[in-house]
Amino acid sequence: MAAVDIAGVRKVFGGRAGEVEALAAIDMALVEGEFACILGPSGCGKSTLLNIIAGFEGLTAGEARVFGEGVARPGPDRAVVFQEASLFPWLTVWDNVTFGPRMLGRPKEETDALARKYLGLVGLAGFENHLPDQLSGGMKQRVGIARCLILSPRVFLMDEPFGALDAQTRMQMQELLLHVWDETRGTVLFITHDIDEAIFLADTVYVMTARPGRIRSRIPIDLPRPRTIEVLTDPRFNALRADILHQIREEASKATREFEEAERSARR
Amino acid sequence: MAAIARSSSPSPLLGLALPAALVAVWEVLGRAGVVPQGILPAPSLVAATWWDWAVGPSGMGLNPYLGTWFETVLFSARRVFTGFAAAIALGVPLGIMIGWNRLVAGAFDPLIQSLRPIPITAWLPFSIAVFGIRDAGAVFLIGLGAFFPIVVNTTAGARDTPRNLIRAARMMGASERQLLLRVVLPNALPAIFTGMRLGLGIAWTAVIVAEIVAVKSGLGYVLWDAYYVGRMDVVIADMVSIGIAGFLSDRILVAIGHRVLHWKQFGAR
Ligand SMILES: Nc1ncnc2c1ncn2[C@@H]1O[C@H](COP(=O)(O)OP(=O)(O)O)[C@@H](O)[C@H]1O
Ligand SMILES: [Mg+2]
Repeated sequence: MAAVDIAGVRKVFGGRAGEVEALAAIDMALVEGEFACILGPSGCGKSTLLNIIAGFEGLTAGEARVFGEGVARPGPDRAVVFQEASLFPWLTVWDNVTFGPRMLGRPKEETDALARKYLGLVGLAGFENHLPDQLSGGMKQRVGIARCLILSPRVFLMDEPFGALDAQTRMQMQELLLHVWDETRGTVLFITHDIDEAIFLADTVYVMTARPGRIRSRIPIDLPRPRTIEVLTDPRFNALRADILHQIREEASKATREFEEAERSARR
Repeated sequence: MAAIARSSSPSPLLGLALPAALVAVWEVLGRAGVVPQGILPAPSLVAATWWDWAVGPSGMGLNPYLGTWFETVLFSARRVFTGFAAAIALGVPLGIMIGWNRLVAGAFDPLIQSLRPIPITAWLPFSIAVFGIRDAGAVFLIGLGAFFPIVVNTTAGARDTPRNLIRAARMMGASERQLLLRVVLPNALPAIFTGMRLGLGIAWTAVIVAEIVAVKSGLGYVLWDAYYVGRMDVVIADMVSIGIAGFLSDRILVAIGHRVLHWKQFGAR
């Protein structure tokens, strides 16, 4: 059974300004323990796809299944890491991380032990009593990852979680994420528009077309694990990079062309 | 930034200079007999009256105000507290629900928005007609006056809960009830405190008006009663008392706010 099974998913947003077809027909399947990255130009529907799997958005047509079960609403089996961390600013790091188990009524001793374990794993031991506003962007995302780990989810959904970080912090966070993933081996769907990030992290990279989003290609990344920064200079890395860059460029220029055509017809 | 602002901001003594000068001029004019004592008694006379009013032996026939200051303040403060508490008990939950649920908003928003522009003073006849010359009327006016800023600010605070915080709570398994209590309410707290401060100011206005017209005790009652018998010294002492009571209750609320909203003091938010 696929961990995540997306079949013919279409999404049309209806609004006063007219309808927007965000996703045309998405098909993809992740096996359990797979680390998949979705790459695509801005506005192609990446977040929409992730939000559908998370249960934040409904779908117009098709089916989204997680371990065989149709997605109906958000839940702790599908943990989400947001781009802007989205921690509760009135809660300490500890209370943010234990929020889920407390809402779910899980036993306190077990929760405390897990919180200690995962805060240590993401390198935040000693920061339990800090407030989110006292943390750097990278540290906030570590909290965002820890509060997902503690849920023991079946799938991790990550929407450009490192997109707002500076290059050096982003690199550290990518290594940290791979380290965490090595320890936990969850199924991950990771959205990014950074090609290097996708290749560095993923078992499989899905390249999306410009809007309305479709899967343009599925690229297995056969670089050995565990991966370190050295992999960035591997010739295979560069070959993959060149190939994906080429595909992304095509999609980006398609998007630009469509935008210009729309502009032209609007002026007419 | 803070250090710069502090070093360039003037000493608090400067702020005291003008009031002190005014009091001095007033004292001199009063003693010189330029302003009749019956209209504007000198500050020294007001202070003496206040002293008697506060600590004088009560029940000494001629001066009905002797020793009654504390109970008078307590009468007013108790009404303010009761009405204000009722306004919070009603305004906060209702505001949260209006900010959260479109159906509740659709049902309550028009009613609230149409009642809100009616000044609290305009409710006086209605209040007396319904409650008579009793405490309940004063408490009703106070509660009503404080209710509107509280409910409106709570609604705004609940409404601007960031979408991703709601999504995060849902994905971590929060029920709708937990979502309201653990996310929407804390997010609205800064706005709720803003509403409460505004509401408390209105509550002190309302209690004075209500006591002038609708009940026979408290600072508002004494204010008007003293005016009728020509005791302007008591009137002024009473006015200052109202100001101090309003100021102190606001300080207390702000202190509570700082404790509850301790997380707001960090960062730019
Ligand atoms: N709630 C919404 N209502 C209308 N249009 C939306 C909504 N959410 C997203 N869209 C549109 O759908 C398209 C895809 O958005 P999104 O999934 O956020 O793209 P990405 O994450 O790839 O940048 C965009 O054109 C966006 O404007
Ligand atoms: Mg996006």
